[in-house]
Amino acid sequence: MANPPPKIRWAIFIALALLALAVRLPQLGERPMHTDESINAYITGRLLAGEKYHYDPQDRHGPVLYLFAKPVVELCGAKTFSGLTEAELRLTPVIIGSATVLMFGAGVEMFGFIPCLIAALLFAVAPLPVYYSRYFIHETLFVAATWGLILSGGRALKSRSILVAALAGFCAALMLAGKETAIIHFFALAVAAVICLWLAKQPEKIPPAKMLLTASISFLAASILLFTWFGQNWSALAELFRAIPHFAERAGGQGHEKPFGYYLSILDPQFLFFIVAATGIYAVICDAVAGTRRAGLLLAIYGVLIFLIYSAIPYKTPWLALNFWLPLALLCGFGVEGVWLQIKAATGRWIAAIAIAAFILVAGKQTKTLAFDRPADERNPLAYAHTTEDILGLPLRIEEICRERQLAQPRIAVVAADAWPLPWYLRTFSQVGYWQPGQETGAADFFITPPEVSGPLAERLGHFRPEFFGARPNVLLILWTPPETLPKHE
Amino acid sequence: MNQPVARLTIAILLTVTAVFAEDKVPLQTKLPTPLFVGTPVPINVPNLEPPHKGKRPDFMVPAGTTNLARGKKVTASDNEPVVGTLDLVTDGDKEGDEGSWVELAPGKQWVQIDLEKEAAIYAIIVWHFHSQARVYRDVVVQISDDPTFSKDVTTIFDNTAGTGKDKAYIETYEGKLIDAKGVKGRYVRLYSNGNTTNKLNHYIEVEVFGKPAA
Repeated sequence: MANPPPKIRWAIFIALALLALAVRLPQLGERPMHTDESINAYITGRLLAGEKYHYDPQDRHGPVLYLFAKPVVELCGAKTFSGLTEAELRLTPVIIGSATVLMFGAGVEMFGFIPCLIAALLFAVAPLPVYYSRYFIHETLFVAATWGLILSGGRALKSRSILVAALAGFCAALMLAGKETAIIHFFALAVAAVICLWLAKQPEKIPPAKMLLTASISFLAASILLFTWFGQNWSALAELFRAIPHFAERAGGQGHEKPFGYYLSILDPQFLFFIVAATGIYAVICDAVAGTRRAGLLLAIYGVLIFLIYSAIPYKTPWLALNFWLPLALLCGFGVEGVWLQIKAATGRWIAAIAIAAFILVAGKQTKTLAFDRPADERNPLAYAHTTEDILGLPLRIEEICRERQLAQPRIAVVAADAWPLPWYLRTFSQVGYWQPGQETGAADFFITPPEVSGPLAERLGHFRPEFFGARPNVLLILWTPPETLPKHE
Repeated sequence: MNQPVARLTIAILLTVTAVFAEDKVPLQTKLPTPLFVGTPVPINVPNLEPPHKGKRPDFMVPAGTTNLARGKKVTASDNEPVVGTLDLVTDGDKEGDEGSWVELAPGKQWVQIDLEKEAAIYAIIVWHFHSQARVYRDVVVQISDDPTFSKDVTTIFDNTAGTGKDKAYIETYEGKLIDAKGVKGRYVRLYSNGNTTNKLNHYIEVEVFGKPAA
């Protein structure tokens, strides 16, 4: 099937990107901040305060998210951490998620119009990409960079352009500076490329050394610039290597262990997408055997490989499933195209079109439930260890008591082994201190602790009034307020 | 007071006590399967429900006390529960799994059990939810002979924030045992106002231990 002319094609993909934007924007600030989002917000806040980015190998990932988020929140008018809002921060993944949809327009020559159209449509409205495009974490950016690498890598091979090869290297650097798990994707893509080249039996398809060198230099230069925060922190390079044993340890689970089949249940509980994608895999194998469009086979091998690797790693979280959405959506596109081409009669094509529309509508309805109606509900499989709405009441309660007692600048002592996401929710209070259990806190107007309080602090809180707040399912916090009879700042 | 008179007084007091005292026995109830390791509550912090190690201490009730709520009619402020049906409150199933609880609308809601006739109530055990650590807010338990609870209402538990005299507590598989002190009434009403995970109200089971009034 011939691809539509570029103008029409781009008009279609721009429309789909706008649809994606329209789907992602509503109620952006309503879902409570997940712990990971609040940590990312804090780092962005430090950059707003003029501090330089310092790479922390202990599970803080690379700088790309903050690099993109900082100008976005500044454009929104934010100047400090306390001035940030949920919606301002989440705007970055929303924009990048919508741009990813637009990028499918650039994949038409490589994968075909129908596969890219279907994949863009699914990315625009399906629950998982919509949900995590509204989440201030690294995944959406990482997937966009991966898609950029695949597109620019494919185009560089075809055009033999040095510039496009450099772009591919830059995309790979964005991936690494987004998440260190990029290594898994580089491996899977390399294996898929080698298999495809071997099957092609065309040595001339192997890229020349000049291109490989250009891409490598681009990758290294961009990675160094990003991790060192443009040359301001050279120790980050050594830290990056120190991250390897940490991530190896983390892969063991660290409380996030899930069974091998976990991602199947997260991606597609009804197995609708998998059935269509399986048809797509069959179609790309047929194409590869016929010697046409081997990019589809590369994508299928890459998708299956990363799925198996991530599934074999005990550590699993639902947002990691977004990594599989790129190959899954395109394979669904290949499946739809394969069926479409088999149907010759007009009636049959009408029925197929109606079935596709129904498929998209079902996905859209699921999105409404998961991303908008119950975004933080513990029964929502995408809301993993999510901050509960209840915590929104904690700062409001402190403000209420402060108004009653005429406390202008309350001193708040948080004593907890893991205080997140409290720094986000207490960001508007100027005097907040964080202590580990057992540490001496000094005087405070309010204390916030988990229910496990012991020792001198427990004695000290004996006459305080406790109020429970939920931080996450199964995680409670207590706001301790002194009795009203106590003098202020006692 | 000389010694013989003192002895006589003590003997009379003991006899009167023995005549009026009822035989007390430990309250018996079958506990559901624990679904999470209970979040430890603070040690030596008087404003919070104190923890107890292992099994809950025996609560003594008069001999012949039974669960009068089992299978009795339940009404509620929310007649169309979000999840489950109101009969789950008195069906005897205290397990914490999905399907065992009724979920009422957000905000302040109540459930009411009609014991069908007046009874002397000695204890109430309520299980809101016990598959995770949660605290239900503004829990109030009242007894009355008036089904509308507009008169002759006795409040036996109240941990309403700011005004209630009782302490907030974390839900566990043991349920919350409330001493009803023999208050008489036909209807038992339980209020709550959301919880620390969401704004909804849940009831797995309510047991009302007492004896029909003579």
